[in-house]
Amino acid sequence: MFKYFIKRLLLLIPVVIGVSILVFVIMHVLSSDPTSIILGQHASQEQIDALRQQLGLNDPLYIQYLKFMGGIVTGDFGTSLITKSSVATEIFSRFPATIELAIISVIVASIVGITLGVISAVKQNSILDYLCMGTSLVGVSMPIFWLGLILIVLFSVILGWLPVSGRATIGLEPAKITGLYLLDSLLSGDMTAFVDSLEHLVLPVIALSSYSTAIIARMTRSTMLEVLGQDYIRTARSKGLAEKIVVKGHGLRNALIPVSTVIGLQLGSLLGGAVLTETVFSWPGIGGYTIDAILKSDYPVVQGSVMIMAIIFVLVNLFVDLLYAFIDPRIKYS
Amino acid sequence: MKKRILSCVLAGLLATTVLVGCGGGQAAKTSAAKTFIFAQGADPRGLDPAFVDDGESAKVMCNIYEGLVKYGDDNTSIEPCLAEKWDVSADGKEYTFHLRKGVKFHDGTDFNADAVVKSVTRQLPPNATDDMPYASFTFNGVTKVEAVDANTVKFTLKEPNTPFLANLAMTLAAPIVSPTALEKNKGNLNEAPVGTGPFKFVSWEKGSKVTLEKNNDYWGEKAKLDKVVIKIDKENSVRASELMTGAIDAMDGLDPSDVDKLKEKNMNIFSKPGMNINYMAFDCDRAPFNDPKVREAVSYAIDRNELVKYLYQDYADPAKTMLPNFIAGYKDVAAYEYNPEKAKQMLKELGKENLQVKMITYSNPRPYNSVGGQKLAEAIQNYLSKVGITATIDVYQWTEYKAKIKQGEGDIKFYGWNGDNGDADNFLSLVDSKEIASSLNAARYSNPEVDKLLAQGKATPNGDARNAVYGQIQDILAKDAPWVNISYSKQMAASSPKVKNFSVHPTGSVFFQKVDKE
Repeated sequence: MFKYFIKRLLLLIPVVIGVSILVFVIMHVLSSDPTSIILGQHASQEQIDALRQQLGLNDPLYIQYLKFMGGIVTGDFGTSLITKSSVATEIFSRFPATIELAIISVIVASIVGITLGVISAVKQNSILDYLCMGTSLVGVSMPIFWLGLILIVLFSVILGWLPVSGRATIGLEPAKITGLYLLDSLLSGDMTAFVDSLEHLVLPVIALSSYSTAIIARMTRSTMLEVLGQDYIRTARSKGLAEKIVVKGHGLRNALIPVSTVIGLQLGSLLGGAVLTETVFSWPGIGGYTIDAILKSDYPVVQGSVMIMAIIFVLVNLFVDLLYAFIDPRIKYS
Repeated sequence: MKKRILSCVLAGLLATTVLVGCGGGQAAKTSAAKTFIFAQGADPRGLDPAFVDDGESAKVMCNIYEGLVKYGDDNTSIEPCLAEKWDVSADGKEYTFHLRKGVKFHDGTDFNADAVVKSVTRQLPPNATDDMPYASFTFNGVTKVEAVDANTVKFTLKEPNTPFLANLAMTLAAPIVSPTALEKNKGNLNEAPVGTGPFKFVSWEKGSKVTLEKNNDYWGEKAKLDKVVIKIDKENSVRASELMTGAIDAMDGLDPSDVDKLKEKNMNIFSKPGMNINYMAFDCDRAPFNDPKVREAVSYAIDRNELVKYLYQDYADPAKTMLPNFIAGYKDVAAYEYNPEKAKQMLKELGKENLQVKMITYSNPRPYNSVGGQKLAEAIQNYLSKVGITATIDVYQWTEYKAKIKQGEGDIKFYGWNGDNGDADNFLSLVDSKEIASSLNAARYSNPEVDKLLAQGKATPNGDARNAVYGQIQDILAKDAPWVNISYSKQMAASSPKVKNFSVHPTGSVFFQKVDKE
């Protein structure tokens, strides 16, 4: 197990190098010159040339890449060209917002998705099945951006039930302990802040989890159907086991193994910043931050945040793989 | 199993209902002190006037800092601020400012001549650094700044430059910052701004909000609000939704499509003339548009009123001249009214029937052109086809587009200008032949008479004589038609009916000093 863990950690290195080359090349070849954005509309050619020299943009690409990687290895993700602040500090200050949104979305998506999937599989070809799968088809195909705006118009503007955007009502933010508002408000015993933060989470979570819910529901349904068709299920039924026990104990437990992979992947990608959701709901996380940086050709920020997201994604996947051993006793890592 | 699932679903529904039930009256929950929440579309780049060049930073900074002079309430005339009065030497090269006494920075230190000198000299060579985007523009030609005594400061300029005074009213580069704070923060106040303004900086949660509080020791009329929160909401329509639900009190950057919805909810809508110009430039340096007659003919072929009405849905004003009408020096010149028949006739007389031209344009929306360069170019292409001109359109991404202009590509180019300091020279010097090299003179228009008048305008003190010079330039430009002025895009903002005295300045700044809330 430990050996496997180390092996997987070492595998992280080529992945990170691959990602770094990709993001570096994309940012340097395709994006526009950041100097004109930094210097503004009054910049003279001399100023632009001087700044390019100062930023090392005139160096050959491989030298620039090596400098960048040198920084990453020493834990220095660079500084933003536009705001001059440290990329790592900026990202970590926004990380709690993203973590809170991603984790709650994945929890909601897993509970709803697995429930829908199981219902569909057990009631295959019934109206309930069509209803569940129809809903998940809508979830997969609905653009998040549009869904977000519709949710805002319906639940905030027309019905007035939920707040439009942000993490908390201004003036009601909980005392800062971990940066996770729900946890912070519980720790400080501030129930008003807790309810307020929860309300602010409802719409973004619905928007963000819609796609993951649908994917999980469809995955659960297909693996569940496969498992329910297995000989051991027939055996279990013929033994006279109650259907509830067959489905839950023999079916679901086995069907969950591939589903857990999907959930892990979803968590990984949601932690990498839910770009659209964060934009619509003005959620101050890393997705929105990265998008701003892309639009401003602020390449140290883009490179830094993509690298951090990639590392997180790989680590989450590793964690899910390790989890297999606990879910499925047949799997052992050596 | 069935029951279990059903009960799970019911429990979920119940939990949601309880949560939603708790959520009634979002607006009612803000804290007790008089807090005003204003939403804008992006984070400031920073909060040190020396290191930023964007409007989002300016909107926050103009409430924290002040300059020696300031703009009038709804125009760009120059009024006293931290300087009570000033004298300009006869040769126009020396500006002596007499400072207001008893003013304190938010950190409790005194505002005085020394502070002015320190705020300015850090932006003058050799101290100025590359990341000070407005330093060279604002303090252009300043050779020396010195403290005559504790309350008098003298600027010495290389040559007379009347727009210098307007530069000092800008929120970028010009405001006076606390020298003590500069020292404490290693010369950069981006995250810890300290000025003399009606509001003090409290905190900035990146990507989320900036909080300011009332400066109780302010030298002038004190703010009516206790606290101002500038909330960052990227989407225009989301800001509008927030205003409708009462989660915010005011917003800027309003989409025309949201106006009707906001009006239905009795929100106040502000649509004010903007300090910008949207135009299409002819390449005056080569055929066919090196002939003023051809430019004139094409000018008759374009209906700017129709463009404003349909392309910009009336959220822009038609432009007859380069200058927006609130800038001193504006002249109501005779413009080319839409007359395609005349255009056709003129082209025929010139032997330029079936003309083929190449247009280049930018892909993205710009502050002066909300629909983006391509849609505008397509509309113009249509007008041109009606008078027998075939036009092709090449569209480029903004940075690449500027490079194309520099290379002199295209017979017709779409461009615009977002004013900096509200001075006529800031707009009209775009046709100075000196600016051909910098590509700001996209039309590559060169007229020695205009150059001479521009130099004269720069050296003439503010007043009627100076305005007359700029009137003369606008007359020449109307006749020469180096470009077709299309529109001035409007500043759009909205506020809740509970808000009083909210307004947007022509420069795009939003001052909270006089704003009040029921």
